[in-house]
Amino acid sequence: MRKVILYIMCVVAVSLFSCTPTVENAKKVDRQPSIYPDYLGVTVPAGIAPLNFTVVGKDVDAVDVVARGSKGGEIHVAGDYAKFDIDEWHELTEKNAGGKISVRVCVRENGEWSEYKEFPIYVSSYRLDEYGVTYRRIPPGYEVGGNIGLYQRNIHNFDETPMITETAVPGRCFNCHTPDRTNPHNFTMQVRGDGGGTLVQKDGKQTWYNTKTDSTKAAGSYAYWHPDGNYVAYATNSVHQCFFVGKHKPIEVYHLFSNIVLLDTRTHELVLDQRLMTPDWLEIFPSFSPDGKVLYYSTSRACNVPAEYQKVKCSVVSLPFNAATGTFGERADTLLNGEKDNKSYVLARPSYDGKWLMFVRCGRSNFPIAQPDADLWIMDLKSRKAKPLEAVNSRHTESYPNWNGNSHWIVFSSKRQDGMYTRLYFSCIDDKGNATKPFLLPQENPWKYYHELFDAYNVPDFTKDKVDFDVRTARDIIFSDDRQEVRIR
Amino acid sequence: MVEKRELLKVAISAAFGIAVFFFWLFGYPQALNYHEENQLFLFTCDYFVRDISVVGGLADYIAEFIVQFYYVPWVGAVMLGILYGTTQWLVWKVFYRFGGSYVLSFLPPLLLLWHMGDINAMLSLPVALTLVLALFILMRDRFLLADVVILPVVYWLVGPVVAVYALLRMIGRDWRVSIVYLTGFFACSVVAYWLLSYQYPYSMVLTGVNYYFRPLYHPCLQFVAPLSIPAISTFTHYFKAKTGWRKPLSVLQVVMVVAIGVSAWTMGYDKDMYELLMQDKLVREGKWNEIISRAEKYQVPTSFSSNCVNLALAATRQLADRMFDFYQSGEDALVAPRMRDNMSSYPTMETFWRLGMVNSSLRYASDLQESILNARKSGRLTKRIVQCQMVNGRYAIARKNIDLLRHSLFYSEWAAKAEAMLGDEAAIDNDNELGRIRQLRFRKEMVYSYDEIDKMCGLLFIDNNSNKMALDYFMGNMLLKGNIQGFMQYMSWVQQYGGYYEMPRGYQDAVNCIQQHGNAPGSRYAEYVRRMMDRKGGQE
Repeated sequence: MRKVILYIMCVVAVSLFSCTPTVENAKKVDRQPSIYPDYLGVTVPAGIAPLNFTVVGKDVDAVDVVARGSKGGEIHVAGDYAKFDIDEWHELTEKNAGGKISVRVCVRENGEWSEYKEFPIYVSSYRLDEYGVTYRRIPPGYEVGGNIGLYQRNIHNFDETPMITETAVPGRCFNCHTPDRTNPHNFTMQVRGDGGGTLVQKDGKQTWYNTKTDSTKAAGSYAYWHPDGNYVAYATNSVHQCFFVGKHKPIEVYHLFSNIVLLDTRTHELVLDQRLMTPDWLEIFPSFSPDGKVLYYSTSRACNVPAEYQKVKCSVVSLPFNAATGTFGERADTLLNGEKDNKSYVLARPSYDGKWLMFVRCGRSNFPIAQPDADLWIMDLKSRKAKPLEAVNSRHTESYPNWNGNSHWIVFSSKRQDGMYTRLYFSCIDDKGNATKPFLLPQENPWKYYHELFDAYNVPDFTKDKVDFDVRTARDIIFSDDRQEVRIR
Repeated sequence: MVEKRELLKVAISAAFGIAVFFFWLFGYPQALNYHEENQLFLFTCDYFVRDISVVGGLADYIAEFIVQFYYVPWVGAVMLGILYGTTQWLVWKVFYRFGGSYVLSFLPPLLLLWHMGDINAMLSLPVALTLVLALFILMRDRFLLADVVILPVVYWLVGPVVAVYALLRMIGRDWRVSIVYLTGFFACSVVAYWLLSYQYPYSMVLTGVNYYFRPLYHPCLQFVAPLSIPAISTFTHYFKAKTGWRKPLSVLQVVMVVAIGVSAWTMGYDKDMYELLMQDKLVREGKWNEIISRAEKYQVPTSFSSNCVNLALAATRQLADRMFDFYQSGEDALVAPRMRDNMSSYPTMETFWRLGMVNSSLRYASDLQESILNARKSGRLTKRIVQCQMVNGRYAIARKNIDLLRHSLFYSEWAAKAEAMLGDEAAIDNDNELGRIRQLRFRKEMVYSYDEIDKMCGLLFIDNNSNKMALDYFMGNMLLKGNIQGFMQYMSWVQQYGGYYEMPRGYQDAVNCIQQHGNAPGSRYAEYVRRMMDRKGGQE
């Protein structure tokens, strides 16, 4: 409804006020323009939504932009900001896959035109054919979530659709949507607090579990699907926050305990393993290797938090897993040793082709989103050599990476714009594990959209197609006590 | 004769509007303040689109437009007077058509006034009701077929109050028409829910998304007030032939209206709740002496009230003298732990700000804002968030919030001034308020601990000896916690830095109580300690 009204208003406004400025006597400027978002030299997939942008400057009253492909094609737009037609943009990027688009920007300031040096937008030869991304939007406050919601966004245009928002289930708070390797039909999410539960949707059928048992202390939260689609690994934990009083650091998030459990969605059984439920260590952020034979997770020594918040150092560990029997192997292997390196390694995310392990490295903590020094790193799983993704990292938080289906694109959240509001970025990973300069999730009018958006993006992931989620059914179950109890295996 | 009567009615209706104006301006201005601080109306296209995208959105938009004027209470009260006067006049016009009496036309607005005594009742409902009454008058008995379009459109624009319109249209018609109207109404609600409002529970779409602040709660008056109009209309329509009943009925009607009016005033407006809202208003305005003088007469025994009064005492440097002359709720009397609602943390947010605990004030302000259940922003809180971010030097975030305020009517001027200071360290340092708060901040980074709030106040004072409020809160917190040793140990700070000519009366009383091991007759502090011990004993 909102979109329909907005569309009608835009059509009326455009038809009333549109007029195209023309460039006259442009003065050459020997530098590239300053634009928002920073799309200078980024690499995009063919078919992505248009990289509309605004030229930064108080006195800018018009822009004239020509985007010309190295393999042919050209788009010319003019107006308050660079706004490309979706179809023309798609045609241009498809034609120039593996090449580049040179963008010439002319700017009118105080009535005078300037022509800036062209900047390139590289079009990757790697496809990104997923429908879009899913994420949670939440005001980045402190202890009160506000109007949170799970959304999906078509990355080939600008359509955003809510899957479930707080208005649908007033007074309830929910965790992020975790798909089964970008599969839109299978996903899990958790509703917290009174009447909470863990949702597992398989092939469109919702099952709401009560995963909190006498043996598990808490319900499942951070989740990851086993590739065969039968098991889901959850971290069960107790998350808390403490707050700083100085001017630089606002918040520290910590867990009082954390274990990993496995849900067998066929038998509704929770598989418990004492190695993943140790009292002296906190096991968190599980993920499976693409062949399903290894469980990766982070583990840190139990500290007296919040007093010892600086001592929380996570290591990344792998543990063999046998899906046929639902049992774990004997020997755990430490891939990254946090205590030894005086770092914290979290959120290990193996690529779906089995070549890479993406993870987040920060100075401390098992909640990287609150750590300004959190950066993305990548490990070659054959050589076990790890390196930072320098093209991707900034001086602010980078976190929650996830791979697309062909393992050449990642989506991650970053606070690089202002240190507070996480935004979604995409980067291309080549066959050698090198990342390209990331680009911000495109919006129709990015400056207006992001400047006026008071939500942060959480836990983005790709989705192959549009997620079909029946919020009405979910609400009915959430408000009832109808939960599938789990048995302990 | 007829004209004179009509003029008299106009005069009485106008008088009703004026009475409503006085009712809000002098009776309950704190309610205006409360509603104003729970929204931030913006003159932007997006704001309109956001509102209109929800069932009842036009009524919400108009209501929020009116509520923004509560910032200047007399203007807000004028608008409410006009709204209620209009509603009453329209009700009269409706009743007139069905042979009803003028006296009874006051009944629905009075019921609405009663309903609005509930602080969760939103202005959307009276606005929506006024709009559908106006529509009914406009349509007269004509264009019955047009209702096929009107009903769904108006349902979307003003919400389920359109039921009043449908019910009024049914009066005097064939029963089959009634069935069509009722079916149409429910069909509208189902279609609105199924196609456009599935992110809301059906019960909210059917009963109003923004008629009441708390979702899924439906107080009885929310239905009684609007439905009284078709109910009375139906009644009078079918019994108007019996004119012989008119005289005794008129007396009865007056009695009814007066009774409802008196009930609305006495039962609709909870004394304690409105006293707390008044304290909130006075804290916002910095009217410290008024807070103290009101508390001398009556104080609601809650931590909220203690927080307000203590802040007022500290602001006027009377805390050390008079703290225990007033009700102290316990260890939370000076600084309350954060609570998950849109009200309780206001005084502590203000206290943190004045103490120089900028991040804590920011945290409370942010959480208060996110606790507004219909996800609106707050002008007051956004302003505080900007101030905190400016003191902390986080100008990008400050600008984001400033740009929001610039689209408002009453905060835009302030926002323009704040924007001029962004990034200008010298200007902020020299600003009376921001510069002072910068001086009061903690010098060292540390983790906030509510359990150690006394020590934190002590550290604030160590960082800046001119922060007398921190010293007062340090000593006061120790007294509240019963940390006698600490209190006695740091009395020398009070003597050295407190700036008092003699030992403050409150501290003298506490020292006397401590020295007498609590056996100090007439000691206010001893009384407090006894009460706390009784409470602890009761809990055990």
